[in-house]
Amino acid sequence: MFEFFIFILLPLITSLFCSVVKNLRIQYSVSLSVSVLHLILALSVFLGYYHTNLPFFFSVDSLSKFFLLILSNVYFWVVLVSFSYLKRPVTHAAEKSKGFYFLLLNFYLAANSAAMLSNHFGMYWVAAEATTLSVAPLIYFYRNEEALEAMWKYLFLVSIGIAFAFIGILFLTLSAKGSILEGKQLFFWEFIRNAKQLNPIWLKASFIFIFVGLSTKIGIAPMHSGDVDATSNAPSPIAALMSGSLRLTALMGVLRIFEIIRPTSSYEFAKTILIIGGLLSLFVAFVFMFKVTNYKRMLAYSSVEHLGLITLGIGIGGLAFVGAMYHAIYNSIMKVILFLTAGNIHSKYKSREVSKVTSVLNRMPKTGWLFLLAFLGISGIPPFGIFFSEIKIFEGMLFSNKPALLVLTMFFLLFIFINMGKIIFFMLYKKNDNDNSEIGNEHFDFIHLTVILLLILLTTISVLSPDVIYQNIINITKDFGMNL
Amino acid sequence: MDIEILQGPIAIFVIIGIAPLFAGFINKQKAILTGRIGAPVLQPYYDLLRLFRKETINAKSSSFISQISPLINFIVIIVAAAMLPIGYWKPLISFNGDIILFAYTLGLARFFQILAAMDIGSSFEGMGASREATFALFAEPIFFFTLGSVAFISGLTSIYDIYHSIRLDNISYIVFIIICSISAFILAITECSRMPVDDPNTHLELTMIHEVMILDNSGFDLFLYLYSSYIKLFIYAILEISFFYPFSAKSYLLGIVIFIVGSIILSLTLAIVETITSRFKMKNIPQYLLFATAIGILNLLIYTFTK
Amino acid sequence: MGNVLSILFCLSLFYVSITSRVKGYVTVLQIQGVLLSLIIVIPFIYPFSIYGIILPATLLLVKVFLIPRYINKIILDLDIRRVIDPTIQQFSFLLLVIATMVVIFVVSNILSQSTELNVIPFASGFSAIVIGIYIIMFRRKLIVHVAGFLILENGIFLFGTAVASELPMMIELGTLLDVFVVVFLMGIAINKISTTLDGFDVTALGRLKD
Repeated sequence: MFEFFIFILLPLITSLFCSVVKNLRIQYSVSLSVSVLHLILALSVFLGYYHTNLPFFFSVDSLSKFFLLILSNVYFWVVLVSFSYLKRPVTHAAEKSKGFYFLLLNFYLAANSAAMLSNHFGMYWVAAEATTLSVAPLIYFYRNEEALEAMWKYLFLVSIGIAFAFIGILFLTLSAKGSILEGKQLFFWEFIRNAKQLNPIWLKASFIFIFVGLSTKIGIAPMHSGDVDATSNAPSPIAALMSGSLRLTALMGVLRIFEIIRPTSSYEFAKTILIIGGLLSLFVAFVFMFKVTNYKRMLAYSSVEHLGLITLGIGIGGLAFVGAMYHAIYNSIMKVILFLTAGNIHSKYKSREVSKVTSVLNRMPKTGWLFLLAFLGISGIPPFGIFFSEIKIFEGMLFSNKPALLVLTMFFLLFIFINMGKIIFFMLYKKNDNDNSEIGNEHFDFIHLTVILLLILLTTISVLSPDVIYQNIINITKDFGMNL
Repeated sequence: MDIEILQGPIAIFVIIGIAPLFAGFINKQKAILTGRIGAPVLQPYYDLLRLFRKETINAKSSSFISQISPLINFIVIIVAAAMLPIGYWKPLISFNGDIILFAYTLGLARFFQILAAMDIGSSFEGMGASREATFALFAEPIFFFTLGSVAFISGLTSIYDIYHSIRLDNISYIVFIIICSISAFILAITECSRMPVDDPNTHLELTMIHEVMILDNSGFDLFLYLYSSYIKLFIYAILEISFFYPFSAKSYLLGIVIFIVGSIILSLTLAIVETITSRFKMKNIPQYLLFATAIGILNLLIYTFTK
Repeated sequence: MGNVLSILFCLSLFYVSITSRVKGYVTVLQIQGVLLSLIIVIPFIYPFSIYGIILPATLLLVKVFLIPRYINKIILDLDIRRVIDPTIQQFSFLLLVIATMVVIFVVSNILSQSTELNVIPFASGFSAIVIGIYIIMFRRKLIVHVAGFLILENGIFLFGTAVASELPMMIELGTLLDVFVVVFLMGIAINKISTTLDGFDVTALGRLKD
């Protein structure tokens, strides 16, 4: 019961608290302590120090442990920087949004933890929809036209997508007709255990509907547009939260149905669908990187790319699956770094257009160098984690029965790297002729410290590669019935 | 005396005799509902009598088509009326497949009316004819998805038999019949140029469909047209009422009682509909008709799938 | 009885595809809400169970009173023009709807031979889902999009009764609450869009693209 209280009830209570107490500093300190508690408990559950016993429709397995830790980690850092972020001057209209910020953030934590920990499809659905509802007003933080449009599109598209996922869940019920699962609740583990008895046609339909529906939320092609708009127009901490954890929440639903479909005859079909989804996302990122002129959109497309890579890895299976799981951690941390530095740049230049942002290295050297490091990290340069996880995914692809896909993937990644590099080096180095003012007097603020800490964390995890993470991922692969 | 032989002729005489009364009845109710005293119920008879006495004048530009088509129209309508059962009375013309004949005799009547309207050469009448032809195109499927779907389900092809196959005993069939009758009601409104589709009272040429086609007819020709339009209205009324006979209880008296009560209810419904609705825009009429067809298709699908 | 109510549900779909009034959409939403609550309340009348009444009552409250009133309020507040803005002719739209429904009914009839399911609620629900998407695709007004989304949700609900899914009541209530909050947020968004972007149409939303 204690963990239920910490993971779900406490954030809800805090959210209510934030609706009553209007002082931003108090809200911040309470939210931060909640997130620390959440992180500590998630970590001890992950490390096996704490044995959980959750009520109702919740339980913990290796997958939810793992994803919960990622969520908790991302959330902690986002809350940590939120206060210094909120202190920045904004337009008068956006001033009002600050009052709702921590309220919605805490509600988001409750909903997302519930989605991660749920072991019942219905519960998962309700919680996943609740995360959308909590994030949508946060996208509208700046209260300008673009943010409004992004919020509308995100809310609408994701609501419809989630509705489709619900149809998929109903199809899953249909597939259980005539088996011993008929009339039972939609618990994951019961379905996984008795998956062989499910009707394959309905199971396939269910997989397609859940995958397509949730892919609006995962942000993989061809349903990525709402997510890209939202991520690029939301305030940076929220964008980091969405890229780092919200997308994984949706991916979790796909993983659950994938786990069910694994022992059945439809397994190959599901794998093919995931591979197509992944490759298509890489392709979309590849195409749009050529023409993107907005650096936050560029980062959003980078999210599409990396989630596509994770999906691809899951679809390939084996070693690539392990790589995909590692990629989920590294990408989540990397996205926080990227969005926070990009947010710094944005607050200085007041523009998201690449053409208006020049000579960042001169005007804000600390942010500039960190941004450069973050770019190198996301592109898979060692010693940052993405390198190791991508290598694993590539290795898995090479030794799978579809090695030709590796060539295609490499090709896409190479061009994405080149185009991102072009944009980022333009921003960092390009000197504007009539602008040679203020050189290198950016003071070291809290966000820089956070980013450096995150980079250290990332490098530590990826270089040391703690055995506990490896063991947990191996447990997940065992749950998915893969033997390496 | 064997009444079986006589029931056909009696039925057709009843139809011909009562049809104007039915129209007058509707008009009277409509007048009362809109707060007027209105013309007497027997007014259609007086109109017919007046027209019958008058001399026929044809336009100079018209050909023989204009002269023969009122008569053909009238006769053909009567032939169609002769195929309808009143209560349990077997109609005069009844054979397997007469549902098709019924649909196309009505089509023939319309064809001649359109031809005659175009024959005169007036632009207004041509416009009316074109509208009539367009809407007929959308109205035709409704017939086949109402009565036709009952025929399809029972496997019978004679109108008399089709109606006799209706058994109002299980719920899904009752719903099926009710929805059929809704579709048929829309069909009746369209075919008889009643209110939401066409306004029988207006004499503004631009908005008329049916009335504009007979602008240039007079005297005996107009008498024939008018009379056949009354009969047509009554034909559709019978089509509508016949859905609701408890055909399993075979009693002539009960049939007549239901027929009279049904006519009264239907006329009241028509009067109410005409009072509370306004005429549709011309461009909205096809979708209104398609709506009725859609109901018919859905109905047929649902019924065949649940059986 | 469920079948009859589902047929009425289908008729409401036809109505929604020819009406050109925003008000007509709201009425249809109310009718559908009543139909859905009737469908789910029927099994609990004999024998009567107070526990079974909670969900239909909540459904009735949310789908017949709260949401339609909220939409009406938005329409009044923003003085949205009373006609919808279709992008294709109503006639073609209805044709499309008919074709879709025929296909769905035939396919679900074929499917019902291999799986045990209730054809009519199943097909009606699925038709509502598709027609909801059509409404979103072929109408310009954002408020009509919301109505289309709600029709889609109603379809899913009906569909759920057809496959006899055994979701616990707590979760059903959760889904209802989620839908209500979604509509609430959409309403706020429309409000903001009409003031900041000066329009109630999708044409007002064209800033974000690559």
